[in-house]
Amino acid sequence: MQIQYKKKRNLLQNLFLSELVQGMWLTLRRLFTKPITLQYPHEQPNVRRGFRGQHALVRDPETHTTRCVGCMKCVMVCPSRCIRIRIQKRPEHGNRRFISAYHIDALRCVYCGYCAEVCPVNAIILTEVFAYSAFDRKSLSYDMPQLLDNWDRYLAEQGEDLAQYVNPTWRPRGLPEGPMPAGKRLPVPDDWKGKGQVVGRLWRQSVQGQNR
Amino acid sequence: MKEPSKQTVEVPVATGDEDRYRLRMGPQHPATHGVLRVDLELDGETIVACDPQVGYLHRGIEKLAENRTYAQTLILTDRLDYIAAMSNNCGFCVAVEKLLAITPPLRARYIRTIVNEMSRLASHLLWLATHALDIGAMTVFLYCFREREILLELFEELCGARLTFSYPRIGGVRQDVNAYFIDGLQRFIDIFPEKILEYETLIDTNRIWLKRTVGIGKVSREKALSLGLTGACLRASGVDYDVRKHQPYDAYDLVDFEVPIGQEGDSYARYRCRMEEMRQSVRILQQCIDQLPPGPIVGEDAPDLHMSQRIIPFREARVSAYGTGLIALSHKTKPTYPAGDIYVATEVPKGELGFYIISDGSPRAYRMHIRSPSFIHISALTALSEGGLVADLITNIGSVDVVLGESDR
Repeated sequence: MQIQYKKKRNLLQNLFLSELVQGMWLTLRRLFTKPITLQYPHEQPNVRRGFRGQHALVRDPETHTTRCVGCMKCVMVCPSRCIRIRIQKRPEHGNRRFISAYHIDALRCVYCGYCAEVCPVNAIILTEVFAYSAFDRKSLSYDMPQLLDNWDRYLAEQGEDLAQYVNPTWRPRGLPEGPMPAGKRLPVPDDWKGKGQVVGRLWRQSVQGQNR
Repeated sequence: MKEPSKQTVEVPVATGDEDRYRLRMGPQHPATHGVLRVDLELDGETIVACDPQVGYLHRGIEKLAENRTYAQTLILTDRLDYIAAMSNNCGFCVAVEKLLAITPPLRARYIRTIVNEMSRLASHLLWLATHALDIGAMTVFLYCFREREILLELFEELCGARLTFSYPRIGGVRQDVNAYFIDGLQRFIDIFPEKILEYETLIDTNRIWLKRTVGIGKVSREKALSLGLTGACLRASGVDYDVRKHQPYDAYDLVDFEVPIGQEGDSYARYRCRMEEMRQSVRILQQCIDQLPPGPIVGEDAPDLHMSQRIIPFREARVSAYGTGLIALSHKTKPTYPAGDIYVATEVPKGELGFYIISDGSPRAYRMHIRSPSFIHISALTALSEGGLVADLITNIGSVDVVLGESDR
């Protein structure tokens, strides 16, 4: 396909600067439309669920501590290697693994969300909190109590119940349930399970045609 | 008492031609789109020699990729061309899929085509905005960002990020699209052709725009080929080359679109090519929405994020331990990483983005080279600008559409 290089213009158009007038008229009309700029500190942006922001460790309502089982999957998969976990095996609990330290360096993190995606028990989450900063490096390198606090603060701000909360990084929309570990089979709406998939107009028409 | 000697500053003395002087444009110059430095040798206002210097944004992505698995390298590709990160992600996934001989399901290919074209629109909108701003048309800048915002919000709904998406996965995509996304995209497609007309009303026939772009940075067909230009820069010079058409990947062979070709090879032709490309992108998006098939979004043979559990040397050790009996055969059915090298190119908004991966059979690339269009386009700046004016260099930098994150890697 050949592009149209330069539009032909006649003498009158050149004489009366018609293209400038057209441009000015366009900007004049747009002058009276509603501004779309978000005045950020005064207005808050509409952050979608699934935004990858500040880290948090989910506080389990039963044990009041983290759900993490120390499987080290997040440590293995992290591209920036910012997660560190210390595990202890306690013989008195039948050699069960306990995590004694969970550490995330938020300044190293690239916010890819892989850790939340591979976590089999939905222990870690990247919350929708995006405005956080500090004056020193140390306070942005989170340990376990801080990460649990982040979660408490996030839940209080959202005013949500953990029972209903599902993060899209925990269970990506449309993935089959079969290969998922038990902890990932969360109660989600039908369109997340891949049942009510959005399909194109042509597909819908062909299915309707077959039904008739 | 002896006076402390003053530190002398060496003033470069021009030798020979006294009229020439050297100017360092950048790396903080706003018109260089990032951290590009151009060493100029000027005769009055005419550029005698132009020497672009890159490397200010070097992060060693190619080296980092050598000790990260393919899934982890996907994150790094976000940081190449950060204006159209989705295109890089898709390009890398296509390359690794070809290496591992995986075919993503049809639905995933369609979704990838959708996000690819969306990111093409987002990139072209930012290109038009900054290119126009450099030349002096401020209104276009604001109008373009108005539409780009809609696209970024759709991306955020889809994958939770506005800039570094990491949305495609090797062998599919991460999340399925939902009705909100498709409806929003349909609304965007409905209004966008009018918006392209708006931009064209503002600058297409504007005499200042014409004076600044027509005949500036002219490259002939042969010169463009020898410089290695790709994308809209090459097509504006009259070469019909588009990876989407000639080596189709994802769902590009299933949709109908045309490749806009120019003749003149100057800045204005490049501008016209990109504007027509935006129209074609809208066409592709509309077809993809209409044809979007049902089905899985990740292939069954797709590797998971933990690629490290399937290293071939380990398997070979098992095979040798058990001989070539039944157990060795059962191990053969497991997905493995083939050794060898592969070059896969995809069409990103800037041009042809190629990934050259040498694999030694491990889940990490032994060496990954990125053929980034921006780097090659920057090197073409010399040929484009020498003999022109300093102000035309700004036009050229804008019109070849460089992103320094991709160039310096």
